[in-house]
Amino acid sequence: MDFTILSIIMLAIGIYGLLTNRQLLKVFISIEMIAIAATLNFVMLASPNGLSQALLIIAFSVDTAVSAVILALLVIVSKRYGTGDLSKIISKQETEESEDEVQ
Amino acid sequence: MIFEILAIGLIVSSILALFLDEVVYSVGALSGTFIFTALIFYLNGAFYAAIFQFVVGIGTLAVLFLSGEMLGEQSKKKSSPAKIAGLIGAGILLSLPAIFLSVSGQTAIGPDVPIGEAIWNIRGLDVLLQALVILTIALGIGIVLHERRKK
Repeated sequence: MDFTILSIIMLAIGIYGLLTNRQLLKVFISIEMIAIAATLNFVMLASPNGLSQALLIIAFSVDTAVSAVILALLVIVSKRYGTGDLSKIISKQETEESEDEVQ
Repeated sequence: MIFEILAIGLIVSSILALFLDEVVYSVGALSGTFIFTALIFYLNGAFYAAIFQFVVGIGTLAVLFLSGEMLGEQSKKKSSPAKIAGLIGAGILLSLPAIFLSVSGQTAIGPDVPIGEAIWNIRGLDVLLQALVILTIALGIGIVLHERRKK
């Protein structure tokens, strides 16, 4: 059983999901997967003593803060365009830009 | 044996979280990912890391359940049992390299430092700085959302 390979697989799943999913929520979940892969690798490579766990808790805090910022941005974007689908958001953005150019 | 089962559960739940069509089921599968990760930490002796992973996971899930319906489009098609079985099979297949292959040796080094001493004496400045960072980010999010509401 090798946790390095396990974290590499988690990272690969996260990156694949980030590239292929068009839903904003799935993009957020993909980013969470990448964060889990990083923390899993960190815990398994470090000895389970207090210092490594203290550093990991700092990593968790940063991860939570990043998640909060991403979620706030997702909420703003979905309210602005009325949808959580990236392809629809891009098409609406292009329509707005072309309307601005006409005016 | 228990680690192999947890690894399979971790990969399968993460694949289900990403590729299920319904948002609520997707978030439910993500909760499985958090629980399996916390269990792996706990069984490796990282007790505090397991608790923090669990707490952070619960918070993230609460927010995701609340905002999931708002952000996610109402999916017209539901995931068929065949698709779910395919995803589970793909997850089991993907977890096989982690079970049977090996690239890293034992790298556990360092003395046994208690968690309290590590947080408050060795990394005390980091703890204070991260509190400052989190406070700044919380204020920033509050300001962004407030400006948005005013417009």
